[in-house]
Amino acid sequence: MNGVTILFYFFIILAGVSAGAIVFSKNVFKSALFLLVSLLSVAALYVLSFAEFLAVAQILIYAGGILVIIIFGIMLTTKISGRPLVVENTHILSGGIAGISLFILLTRFLPSLPSGATSGLQPEDIRVIGLAIFSRYPVPFEVAGLLLLIALVGAAVVTSHLKSKA
Amino acid sequence: MDNSFQLLAFITLLAPVASFITVCLIAVPNPKTISFISIFWMLLSFVSATILLIAFWKNQPLVLALDWFIVGDHSFSADLALSNRSILMLVVVAFISFLVHLYSAAYMEGDPDWRRYFAMLGFFTFSMQGIVLSDNLLFLFIFWELVGFSSYMLIGHWTKKPEAGRAASKAFIMNRIGDAGFLVGLMIVWATYETFSITEILLSPTTSTWQSAASLCIFCGVIGKSAQFPLFTWLPDAMEGPTPVSALIHAATMVAAGVYLLVRMYGLFTEDALLVVAVTGMITTIIGAVAALSQYDIKRILAYSTMSQLGLMILAIGMGVVDAALLHLLTHAFFKSCLFLSAGIVIHALHKAQPAHLHFDVQDIRNMGGLKTKLPTTFATFLLSGASLAGVPFFSGFLSKEAILTALVTHTNLISLLMLVVIISVSFLTVLYTFRMIWLVFMGEARTIRSLTPEEPSWVMRLPVVILALCSLWMLVSWNPFDFKGWMLPPAEPSSYAVWITIFSVIWVGVAVMLSWYIFNRGQSKTNEALRNGFYVDKVYGVVLGVVISTSSSAVSFIEKRWIDRGIHAMVYVQVILAHFVAWVDRVFIDGTVNGTARLAGLGGKITRSFQGGNIQLYIFWAVFAIIIFIIWAIK
Amino acid sequence: MLPFHYLPYLAAFLFCAGLIIVIVKRNAIMVLLGIELMLNASNLNLVAFNQQYPAELHGHIFVLFVIIVAVSEAAVGLAIVLRVYQYYQSSVPDEIAELKG
Repeated sequence: MNGVTILFYFFIILAGVSAGAIVFSKNVFKSALFLLVSLLSVAALYVLSFAEFLAVAQILIYAGGILVIIIFGIMLTTKISGRPLVVENTHILSGGIAGISLFILLTRFLPSLPSGATSGLQPEDIRVIGLAIFSRYPVPFEVAGLLLLIALVGAAVVTSHLKSKA
Repeated sequence: MDNSFQLLAFITLLAPVASFITVCLIAVPNPKTISFISIFWMLLSFVSATILLIAFWKNQPLVLALDWFIVGDHSFSADLALSNRSILMLVVVAFISFLVHLYSAAYMEGDPDWRRYFAMLGFFTFSMQGIVLSDNLLFLFIFWELVGFSSYMLIGHWTKKPEAGRAASKAFIMNRIGDAGFLVGLMIVWATYETFSITEILLSPTTSTWQSAASLCIFCGVIGKSAQFPLFTWLPDAMEGPTPVSALIHAATMVAAGVYLLVRMYGLFTEDALLVVAVTGMITTIIGAVAALSQYDIKRILAYSTMSQLGLMILAIGMGVVDAALLHLLTHAFFKSCLFLSAGIVIHALHKAQPAHLHFDVQDIRNMGGLKTKLPTTFATFLLSGASLAGVPFFSGFLSKEAILTALVTHTNLISLLMLVVIISVSFLTVLYTFRMIWLVFMGEARTIRSLTPEEPSWVMRLPVVILALCSLWMLVSWNPFDFKGWMLPPAEPSSYAVWITIFSVIWVGVAVMLSWYIFNRGQSKTNEALRNGFYVDKVYGVVLGVVISTSSSAVSFIEKRWIDRGIHAMVYVQVILAHFVAWVDRVFIDGTVNGTARLAGLGGKITRSFQGGNIQLYIFWAVFAIIIFIIWAIK
Repeated sequence: MLPFHYLPYLAAFLFCAGLIIVIVKRNAIMVLLGIELMLNASNLNLVAFNQQYPAELHGHIFVLFVIIVAVSEAAVGLAIVLRVYQYYQSSVPDEIAELKG
C-alpha cells in the first residue's frame, strides 16, 4: 500500500461520496459544487490511469466549461423566478428502485475488469493520442467539430429567440 | 373455340342483367332513354346468341365448367351446358325478348312504373336464359324460382288493379306448389346420384324406383310452371298483366321452361313416369282446347290455347317424341307471341279509341268485330299466326304438329293410338277456336265498337308483330312446306306413313276450317258456362278446400280448446319461470361478465394512461425499468 | 499495482447516482447535472476497460468524443431549460406536463 494506491482509493471514495451528496443535497448550487468535486476526482483517477490527456480535457471542459454553464443557468433561472435554490424530490420510490436495482445488476452480473490489470501507457503518450486522432480518426474528429458548431449555433438561436420575445 | 363460345354465352346471359342494372340505376327519368337502353342490351344478347348458334350448330354438346362453391368434398359448379337444343332455345328467348322490349316501348307509353317494368323484363330474360343454359340442377332451380319471381312482379305490374295483385299471388302460389315437388325431386336426385350436374345424372346408371320418384317430383315443377292439369288455373288469371308480358312469359318462354326442362331431363324419366307425363299432357290439352272454345276474353282464349299447346308438347314428350315436341315449342313460341302481341295491338287501339262516356270491356270479343278494315296490318299478322296455330299448311305450326303425328304413328300400341286420336281431335278444336276468335274479332259486323275509329299504332309496335308473323311461315322450319325434317331436326329414318299423314292433315284442317266457317258465319255462338270457367276447377278447389278446411278446422279448434290449450298454459307458466331464471342468470353472470370486461378494459386504459402522465422523469423511469428487465432477460 | 478493477464499480455507482438524480429531482438543471454524472460514469468505464488493451487507444478516443457530445448536450440543454423556464416560469419538470395523455 504505497502513497499512490492510497491516493487512488481516496479519489474513488471522494468521487463516490460527492456523487452521493448530489443525490441527497437540496440545494442546486451546492449540488453543482459537489458535481465539480466528483468530476475533479474522476480527472485525478484518469491521471492515475495514465490518461493525462483525458484528465486535462475533463478538467478544462467539464469543470471549466460545463460547470460554469450550469452555474450560469442556475443563476439565470433563479433570477427570473426569485425562488430559493431549494430542490424538492419526487418519485423517490421509483427513482430509488431503478437506481439501486440497476446498480446491483451492473456490479453483480456484468463483466468486470480482472484485478491486477496493468496499463501499458506512459505519461508521454499524449503524443500518441494526438497522432491517433489526426491519422486514424480524422473524420469523426471533423464531425465532432461540426457537432460542436451546430450545438453552439443552436444554443445561440434558442436563447436569442428568448431575448426577442422577452 | 371453347373460349369464344364461353364469351358469347356470357354476353348472351349477362346482357339482360346489364339491362336490369342499368335500368335500375340510371339516373335518367326519361322513359324513352330507359327503353332505348334496355332494347339495346336485348339486341346485344340476341345478336351474340345468334352468333353462338351459327358458330356452334351441329357441334358436340359442350359443358363449360365454372366452379361455384365447394362444401366439404362436394364441389358445386355453375356449369353452362351448350348444345344444339339449349342454344336454339337461347336464341328464341333472346329474340322474342328483344321484340317484346321493342313492342313494350310503345305499348307501355305513359305508364308511371316504366322503370320497374323494363328492369323486371330484363331480369326475367336473364333468369330464363339461365334456365336454358344451366347444367346444374340446383342452379337451374334457382333460375326457375327467379323466373317465377319476375313473372310475379310482371303479372302484378299494375299495382292499382286488385285483380292483378290477386292473379300475381295466385300464379306465385300455384308455382310454389309445383316447386315444392321439384325441391323434393332435387333432394332425391342428390341422395341418389350425389351430383346436380344434369350431364352426369343422365350418364349415371339407372336406379329405377328412386329414378321414377325423382322424375315425377321434377315433373311436379313442370306442372306448375307449364300450367298443366291440375295446376293450370293461374295461367288464364295471369292475363291481368300487361299484354307484352303475356306474350313473353305466358306464351313463349316461361311456360315453355317446363317443357324445356322435360326435354333436358328426358333421360331421367322412366317408362312409368313418362306415362304419367303423357296422361297429364293429354288431360291438359283437351281441357285447354275445349275451354278456349268458349271464352269471351281475347287474352283468355289465347291463354287456354297456350295451355292446350303446352299439353300437346308434354304429351309428345311423354310418348317419347322429344325432338318434335321441342320443334313445336319453338314454332309455338313464335306464333303464340305474335298472336298475343296482335291481341295487344287490338286492345291498345280499342282502349285509345274508347271514349270516356262509353265504358265496355276492350278485351271481350263480343264487343269487337269488323276490325279487318280498321286494323289491316294487325288482321294480317293475326291471320298468319292464327293459321300457324291452327296448323294450316304452309305454316310452321302445321310442320311441327305433323312431326309429332308422324312420330306417334310409328308406335303401334294402344296408348299411342289413344294419344293420336286426342291430338287429332284437339287440332280440330284448335282450328275451331282460332277461327272463332278471328271471326269474332276481325270479320263480320262491328258490334259495340261500331262508332269507334281505332287506328293502327306506331311502327314500333307493328314491326315486332310483323317479324313474328313472318316467323310463323314454313320457311322457319324447312324450305319444303310439307316436309318437317328441316334444319332443326336430326335426320330420322324415312317413314312410309309420312306422305299420307301429310295428306290427311291437309284434308283434316281443311274440313275443320270449313266447319268453323259454317258455324261462325251464322253469327253469335252460345257457349257453355262450365267451359267458360275452365271446368270450374278453380271453383272445385275453392269448395273442396272450403268444406274440408272448415270442418277440419272446427274439429281442430275443439281439440285445441280442450287439450292443447291446457298444455300450452302449463308450458307457458314453466316458460315464464324459466324466463325469469334465465333473466337472472343473464343479469348477474352474462351482464356481469360483459360489464366486468368493460370495467377491466377501462382499468387497463386508466393504467396505461397513467404512464402517459406527461412527466418526463417517469418516462425515463419506465425506460430504465424496461432496460433492467431486458438485462435480466439477456443474462439469464 | 493500482486496483483498477474498482473503477467499474465506481462507474456503476456514479451512473446510478446520476439516474436517481435524473428521476428524483424536481429541477431541470439538476436533471442536466445527473446526465453529466452518467456520462462521466460511462467515460470512467471506457478508460478503465482500455487498461486491458494498452496498445489500443480506442477507449480514450471514444471518451474524447463523449466529452464533446456532452458539451454540446449541456449547451443545448441549458438553452432549452432557459427557454422553457422563460415560457412556463418554472424549471420543475412535473409542472411541464404537455405530454400528458
